[in-house]
Amino acid sequence: MSVVLRVVLIAASLFTTLYIMKRIRNSKAQIEDSIFWILLALMLIVISIFPGIPVAITGLLGIMAPVNFLFLFMIFVLLVKIFSMSLKVSALETRLKNLTQEIAIRNKEEDEHEENNEK
Amino acid sequence: MKELLIVIPAYNEAPNIVRVVENLIEHYPQYDYVVVNDGSVDKTAAICKEKGYHLLDLPINLGLAGAFQAGLKYAYRRGYRYVVQYDGDGQHRAEYIEVMLKTAKEGYDVVIGSRFAQKKKPFSPRMLGSRVISSMVRLASGTRIQDVTSGMRLFGARMIRILALNMNYGPEPDTISYLIKCGAKVKEVQVEMDERTAGESYLNFARSMVYMVQMIVSILFIQAFRKKDLDF
Repeated sequence: MSVVLRVVLIAASLFTTLYIMKRIRNSKAQIEDSIFWILLALMLIVISIFPGIPVAITGLLGIMAPVNFLFLFMIFVLLVKIFSMSLKVSALETRLKNLTQEIAIRNKEEDEHEENNEK
Repeated sequence: MKELLIVIPAYNEAPNIVRVVENLIEHYPQYDYVVVNDGSVDKTAAICKEKGYHLLDLPINLGLAGAFQAGLKYAYRRGYRYVVQYDGDGQHRAEYIEVMLKTAKEGYDVVIGSRFAQKKKPFSPRMLGSRVISSMVRLASGTRIQDVTSGMRLFGARMIRILALNMNYGPEPDTISYLIKCGAKVKEVQVEMDERTAGESYLNFARSMVYMVQMIVSILFIQAFRKKDLDF
């Protein structure tokens, strides 16, 4: 891995970490959601400080250049993240739907209750 | 209205909830209580309604943090001065609320019902986790909390407002650590807890590991960068 790539990696991961921290500081992100990004940023920092790790794995997998391995790895991590977010969005939509229906039903029940009381 | 509200988050606690609530009604009329049904799929809500218990019935499952916060919001709106976080499965003993309340009145914001305030912590895998989190909290906040994962906690009025209205204040060790750093006064009181009698514990091995990683990252990194802007 070239020195330039390492510097860029370190800078990018530091920047990402700081940005995430800033958002949490201002109470914009939930802690559970930030943990993934912080761990990812930490891993990026480790990789850029110890390039021997990706180089060794690159050799092991028979990939031409460490940068290719990094691309592959990152794409894989992001794919998994997108998939889990997609699941989360589905769950959220279902919950929103349930919640809305529940409110409507409870309102109706409340109305009926009031009508009965008036009679 | 009394000054102290016992918040009982309950998720699928149908086998336990009657015993827990009846005990409170019968022996501890000096406290108010509210059951927060966290979208249970069993008969928890139906039982509470039938018996006429005080109930916040959440239509969907929010998890412990969300359910407890619902109770805190209720307490804040009604103007309670103290809130106790109390387990729905009968692990906690209400007899210790009195001494926790007394301690809070001495000027503490958070009183933790601690299994190890005076007693020694046993060596078990579960307690190993507790030790690790405990030392993280000590590292981050400078305060030694022996039983940081205890689920029995009492919060005072200024904590109630903060925990009820803001995000990222789940009832977990990382919040305790952050609150200490913000200047909240935290005190442990020796209590005893019972083994749960029915139902399964939420934490299995995989979940425990995820929980540990979350707590460590949160206590060491996230809470360290968080703004300390609690206006006490």
